Amino acid sequence: MKIFNLLLGVVLATVVTSCTLEKTDYEAELSEVATDEYVFEQAFLLTSNGYQISVEVLNGTFYKGYNEIHLFITDENNETVQNATVTFLPIRLDANEDAYSCPHAYEVGYQADNQYYLGYAVFDEVSNTNATWEFYLTVTIANETFTLQHGVTVASQPNLNLNMTSFTGNNGVQYYIALIAPVSPGVSENELIAGIYQYNEPQVPIGNFPDPTQFSFSEVQGATLLLDPRMPEPSMGNHSSPNNEDLTQGSDGLYYGVVNYTMTGNWTLNFIFQNEGGAVIKGTEVPTDFTPGITGEKSELHIDILF
Amino acid sequence: MKKLVITILFLLCVIPVIAQDTTKEKDSIEILEEVQISKHVKKKIETDLKMAVSVDEFLASSTAISFIKRGAYAWEPLLNNMGAERATITIDGMHVFGACTDKMDPITAYVESNNLAAVDVKSGQEGGLNGATVAGSIDLKRKASTFSMQEQWKGAYQTGFEFNNQQLFNLGNVSYANSKWVAEGSISYRKADDYSDGNNTEVAHSQYTKINSSLGFAYKTSPLASVRVDAIFDEAKNVGYPALPMDLWLSRALITSATYKQLFEKGLVKVWDTKVYFNTIEHYMDDTTRPENLVHMDMPGWSTTYGLLSKINIRKNNVASEIQLNAYNNLSIAEMRMYPQDRSERTMFAYSWPWVTTRYAGLSMNNSLDIAEYSELTFGGSLGINYNRSKYIDFNWIFNPGAPQEKTRLLPSLHAGYNVTVKQFNFAVGAGYGHRAPSVSEGYGYYIYNSFDRYDYVGNPNLKNEISYEGNAAASFSSKKLTVQAKVNYFYIQNYIIGRILSLGSPMNYQSVGVKGYTSLDYATLFNFSMNASYAITENLHWKGTLAYARGLDNDGGNLPFIRPLSYQTSLHYKYKAFGFQTAFSGDLEQQHYSPLYGEDLTPAYSILNFSADYSFRIKDFKTVLQVGAENVLNQYYSTYADWGNIPRMGRNIFTSLQIKF
Repeated sequence: MKIFNLLLGVVLATVVTSCTLEKTDYEAELSEVATDEYVFEQAFLLTSNGYQISVEVLNGTFYKGYNEIHLFITDENNETVQNATVTFLPIRLDANEDAYSCPHAYEVGYQADNQYYLGYAVFDEVSNTNATWEFYLTVTIANETFTLQHGVTVASQPNLNLNMTSFTGNNGVQYYIALIAPVSPGVSENELIAGIYQYNEPQVPIGNFPDPTQFSFSEVQGATLLLDPRMPEPSMGNHSSPNNEDLTQGSDGLYYGVVNYTMTGNWTLNFIFQNEGGAVIKGTEVPTDFTPGITGEKSELHIDILF
Repeated sequence: MKKLVITILFLLCVIPVIAQDTTKEKDSIEILEEVQISKHVKKKIETDLKMAVSVDEFLASSTAISFIKRGAYAWEPLLNNMGAERATITIDGMHVFGACTDKMDPITAYVESNNLAAVDVKSGQEGGLNGATVAGSIDLKRKASTFSMQEQWKGAYQTGFEFNNQQLFNLGNVSYANSKWVAEGSISYRKADDYSDGNNTEVAHSQYTKINSSLGFAYKTSPLASVRVDAIFDEAKNVGYPALPMDLWLSRALITSATYKQLFEKGLVKVWDTKVYFNTIEHYMDDTTRPENLVHMDMPGWSTTYGLLSKINIRKNNVASEIQLNAYNNLSIAEMRMYPQDRSERTMFAYSWPWVTTRYAGLSMNNSLDIAEYSELTFGGSLGINYNRSKYIDFNWIFNPGAPQEKTRLLPSLHAGYNVTVKQFNFAVGAGYGHRAPSVSEGYGYYIYNSFDRYDYVGNPNLKNEISYEGNAAASFSSKKLTVQAKVNYFYIQNYIIGRILSLGSPMNYQSVGVKGYTSLDYATLFNFSMNASYAITENLHWKGTLAYARGLDNDGGNLPFIRPLSYQTSLHYKYKAFGFQTAFSGDLEQQHYSPLYGEDLTPAYSILNFSADYSFRIKDFKTVLQVGAENVLNQYYSTYADWGNIPRMGRNIFTSLQIKF
């Protein structure tokens, strides 16, 4: 009897424990797209007038798209400086030395809870021979003002879930839409957060370089971003998902909506961008037909993601 | 696989050696028979027409059971015109759940006729002993040899060939018994090519290969008690499904159990029977054999179940009771992965069953009270707790935002029946009430493609329990020569679960045309009627006939899908010396009450003629039967109401088989 049990046990154990095909490790697969650990790290450190300014971004790297920027300012005693006035201007020079900027927070305010100055920049180009990025910081502490300049490298964003797009609306205004969340989406309901910015044409003549009035950007107020997610892959036949919510502005100025991803893979977020009055500034409707074998049509305003 | 076969063979050789050492004792386990409460006759695994049948073919010969067929293999049984999610299908009371979201692996696919002894079919709530049900229960009884005072070897070997699909099968089983030990095993192998329809056109992707083996050992621990361990291993490979866009590459099942049985000579309790079981199924579908497909897709599935059942039989005076505790835990996982045309692109992945756990615990009872010699009252009921959990509830939230991740349901059931015999007549009436929980697919399924109506199905965790109210009646007359029986039942099913087109979402599978969500209709009704008659024309010439009709309606008076139209069968059996001749004529009338809403179209009437002849003789001590026959003799081109995609059935099929028993 014992022998049977033993033998049977062995047979069972071998059969039971050995699945022919391994099950998918879904959680591991999801984290594949966001390979880096998303933590804030120092990108560079500036020292001037007895103060230290540490600039932190995610992974210590500037990426194309939306970058939240933390500035830690400390004095000689290593005490946090809380009452500084800080302005920030990112400048891109092309091969002809023409200067451009990108959406950014010009005034960088102090966050008492976190003890840093909070800003952001939405880089619209990766550093290359035709794009050199430089930061211009103006810091005023106790009536003492000093200016800092530092070159940075903007890398391409490996995570398409943080992709961005820029376009000229049919009102002639230059707009930027940058995805902020979800960083690592799931096959689920995902809160979709985006920043929407516009370039403000200068109203005054050019002053001394870098003149912030020439590089003015602002958050678009009260707009609506109609959302229609699709899988563009031909085999998916223009597949979409239910229960999505259009993006509307939250109290922090960013835009919030809901996107449902029904499976992993390539997705296109098709948008129609409407101003406060509901007029369409950019974007076209996507046909809802099920078209297997044909690459899905996209709105003229869209962002491709992948997870 | 090789290792397993070798081990099994080794075990088969080694057991008798050990077993022979044991001394013979007075056997009392044989003397007491199990108290049988139900009056249902358990059917033997053999149809009238064909002695070497598959489990599917056998079940198809019962009037209460019809089939949804997606090809030549693994038919989905419908009991009282209701699918597997409304019935409990068990093997010796053990719950086994298929691992295919497309229901391509009903439990009946994982057994073979040579390891089964009988199939016990109970209609409606009477079948609630093994768990909550609406339609009833199908319990596949495995072969279990009894202990024997004298050392006994038994065996059978069956082989055959079917010409239409070049099916070759070899089935063998052997058992050894003495007063202390029983050891038995079976092995079978079937291989079939594509079959041809009535127009002699080959139906592509209808081939299959199946290996099945089983092993059982019993040991008598005391004169009144025994333990038994059983295992079934089943492997199917390269199984084509002509009605589906993909095929089965491999499926494997391991079904194991250990049973302890104790008999009591005195007292109220007569038998105590306890079983623990474990089974695991892997089922891998893909479409590598379908190069015409636009998308390459894999759909693997896994289902693992363990459970306990414990039953006592009580008898006192004129009351007999059966009380059973059931508990099981199942984990169902199904994945789909689609490959983009540009293979360097990332694949697309989703769970079609997002790791769904089902736990059930319930206590059921069946009683019978003999009121007088000729009348009997049966009554019983059960109370079960059903718990579900979806690990990746995110998937379910896409269509059902905020649905609970865990859900517990209470499933009560009651039934009663009265049976009276007046002279040659027997009358029975009964009623039942019972709940069932939604199945894994109905509750938590995610984009499960149904190629019958070409919709992707999405489950809803918030579905209410389905509540069935049923009534049934039967009347029969039997004389020496003539037997006539009529049966009727009616189900009123509240919160009837069915897929309805959703205005949300768009199809995921490229063949599908839209998304359907499982929803509850207010109610649906189902009516089943069947009539059987048999008549002995002479001592050697017997006639049998059956007639069955069913009607299913939803709450708007629309037709329910998969309801069989009026069907009939008439057969003659003639015996002359060692020869036997059978002929059967059967068919369905036109399916007038079809349901376009659920993807059905009008299926025309059909009728087919079958014929077989057998000859029994002895080779030394071996009982041998040789059979030849033909199914669909007239080579009709037909498909039935339940054939997916109106895939035609097999045309003329000549079969031969040889059975040797010792």
